[in-house]
Amino acid sequence: MQFFRNANFNFTGAMKVCFTLSGILVVLSLVLMLIHGGPRLSIDFTGGSVLQVKFAPAPGITEVRRALETKGIVGAQVTAFGGTDEFLITVPSPKGASGEQAADTAQALLSDLRGAFPGNEVELRRVESVGPKIGSELRTAALNSIVAGLFLIVIYVWFRFVLRYGLAAILALVHDVILTLGVFSLMDMEISLQIVAALLTIVGYSINDTIVVFDRIRENMKLRRRESYREVINRSINETLSRTVLTSATTFAVAAVLWAMGGPVIRDFAFALCFGVLVGTYSSIFIASPMLVWWYERQTIDKKRAAPEM
Amino acid sequence: MNRSLQIRAGLSAVVILLAVYGLLPTFKALSISHAEREAAKANPTRLAEIEDIDAKAIRRGLDLKGGMYLVLEVDQTGMDANQAADALQRVKEILYNRIDKFGVSEPEITTFGSSRIVVKLPGLQDPERAKALLGKTARLEFRLVRQPEDLADAVAVLDKAFAGDMAAAPVPAPGDTTFVPDQEQFLRDHPFTGLIVSQPGVTSTPLFVAEDNVERVQAMLDDPRTAARLRGMEFQMGMDPMNFGGTTPMRPLYLVDTQPIISGDQLTDALSSADNERPGLWQVNFTLNNRGAREFARATGENVGRFLAISLDGRISSAPVIQSRISNTGSISGNFSNAEASDLALLLRAGALPTDITIAEERTVGPSLGADSIRMGVNASLWGSLLVIVFMIIYYRASGVIAVVALVANIMILLAVLAQFDLVLTLPGLAGIALTVGMAVDANVLINERIREELRKDKTIRASVQAGYSNATRTIVDSNLTTLIAGGVLLWFGTGPIKGFAVTLCIGILTSMFTALIVTHVIMDLVTRNQGKQKLSI
Repeated sequence: MQFFRNANFNFTGAMKVCFTLSGILVVLSLVLMLIHGGPRLSIDFTGGSVLQVKFAPAPGITEVRRALETKGIVGAQVTAFGGTDEFLITVPSPKGASGEQAADTAQALLSDLRGAFPGNEVELRRVESVGPKIGSELRTAALNSIVAGLFLIVIYVWFRFVLRYGLAAILALVHDVILTLGVFSLMDMEISLQIVAALLTIVGYSINDTIVVFDRIRENMKLRRRESYREVINRSINETLSRTVLTSATTFAVAAVLWAMGGPVIRDFAFALCFGVLVGTYSSIFIASPMLVWWYERQTIDKKRAAPEM
Repeated sequence: MNRSLQIRAGLSAVVILLAVYGLLPTFKALSISHAEREAAKANPTRLAEIEDIDAKAIRRGLDLKGGMYLVLEVDQTGMDANQAADALQRVKEILYNRIDKFGVSEPEITTFGSSRIVVKLPGLQDPERAKALLGKTARLEFRLVRQPEDLADAVAVLDKAFAGDMAAAPVPAPGDTTFVPDQEQFLRDHPFTGLIVSQPGVTSTPLFVAEDNVERVQAMLDDPRTAARLRGMEFQMGMDPMNFGGTTPMRPLYLVDTQPIISGDQLTDALSSADNERPGLWQVNFTLNNRGAREFARATGENVGRFLAISLDGRISSAPVIQSRISNTGSISGNFSNAEASDLALLLRAGALPTDITIAEERTVGPSLGADSIRMGVNASLWGSLLVIVFMIIYYRASGVIAVVALVANIMILLAVLAQFDLVLTLPGLAGIALTVGMAVDANVLINERIREELRKDKTIRASVQAGYSNATRTIVDSNLTTLIAGGVLLWFGTGPIKGFAVTLCIGILTSMFTALIVTHVIMDLVTRNQGKQKLSI
């Protein structure tokens, strides 16, 4: 059994369409984030508390919301979590509060809930409280890690190939990260520590895919000196296509199973991975390598234009 | 069999056998049922055995086991670098002492940076109690209560200090007292008086503060102006409000010496016991060391008839009259429940923190969620792996089976590394393993696709296999190293569960390179060793 035996798709021919499409999607993602005032950050980065509570028997979500309102808790968000009997309650930390106050808020909120639903058993399944100081530190660390990750990858690819490859790869990676953030903005999902981990994993996965194609390009450049740059790159993408699709399929399958069965705690994380695998595969085939062609052809055209004037 | 193949085959066998050996305790630990564990609690030898097995098994993170993760910020204001470092160490030791006495198994307390302490408490039953225990400074002090004439002066001084201060504009104190001035001008001139209530009929100590006004009064007491004006004495509020049957509970307010007679560091022991005079309530009995006992005896002997305030973290638990000279033992009574009294005794035994701490970050997972997470995480990983296995066998047939063998070996080595190096398996870590399965296939796919390509060039099977491996190796190393860079950054950045994910991801990349490049190659070589074999199932 084999998919794509002797595949010969004209990937580089679709270059302009893909660049345009990706450009539009990137801009759309950025606009979406801008409208929402940046990516929606979780309490990991803003400070605040999250409580995961389980009720037996479960009240309706509106009852829970009303109960918190009557207790005078401002800014609490209540969402159903997993099944129907569990809720996630998010409270931002009050301005200038220390972490301890955030932890106290969580505690007060729980006793308020117990007071409001005396007939129901309220089980505290999870608490996360982050003080604003640690929150802003984590925000810096997360940003630094993504930037550092991308930077180190450029350096490595530059070292192993040439700078142009590194830059093309990084463009594809930035594209992947921005689109993932855009989808999170679109679905109004929160960016937490876990999602940052997912983003770095997507970066790692996508660069892996890209490098496999680059590696084949490098090999074919030596073997097929008579073919044009564009032909060599197109051939390389086609030759590795079966592997790219196969690996993507298995990785996507695993991520999808995690999403479906891994439980609500890692659902968003798995979602990011699923999306990231798709967009990472797309960018390795349609963005990173064609970018090399575009670049090369622009340079040679410039040279040809420049030549007669000399 | 040639020399190189012998070496590689031997290496593969040794690594896989080591992995199996390393995983034995984990399998054993999994096979011990909950009932068996409960039963072993009565049997010390069996308990020690089980603990030994658990110690060698893969450690589950707090998100899978249930437990509490705290980051505590140590207040180092006004300390130089040496004092700050010293305070950090002292706090860490005292916290360890407290946790140790509280009876949590396998606590982890580490310093983080120059001002933080990370506490990990697995399998906690009562997180709130643990948190209260850790967060308290537990500064115990015995202070003489000032005489009524000082009290009148002090109130006047504070009134003057805050007169016209709009931020301190008081709300008339509710209550059934005669001393509630409500003229606006009077309140503006006497902001402190306006917030307090004197004991009905008695002009001596203590004063009272309506519960609604406690925060305002505390703000005034914390104001630097207060300390500057009240030389040698300070106001402290009671720990618990008192109920006089009025509409609001009242909080006592004492004027005490700034200089304590003795403090908690002079204690040698503290134990809780039932309060004989107040049934249902508990108290803490303490014993002083020689120096403390001498000081205490002298001060109490000189001040018989006066009130002695017992202050804990700046709040007064009680202020009894000194009946006679007290030397080396005493008791602290308050509205303590059994648990509160025994926790207080524990805190006093462990000693006070040299400075205040605040909880900067908390992540607690209840045991039931931990159990759910591990079940779902393991299930998802198993089903995901199964999907990949079936797919590989259908797509590559016999060569697919080899890839699957490599996959299983890969997971086993990965888990054995976790167990052996005492790394923690978290829920994202489980996801990392699942993801490794998805991505580990990649190396096999690269190799097999290469072999297929070579076969299509009409090379012999052996030559195709050799060319396939040698061509794929460079690609595999390059592509995996870049992923490893991303994983390494994650490892550097990550805390808690994220670190767990990064750990499994990074180890997974390394082990999958090993199994794909060494283990499958050995199997392939062995399978194709027979030159007569004409067809390779790939």
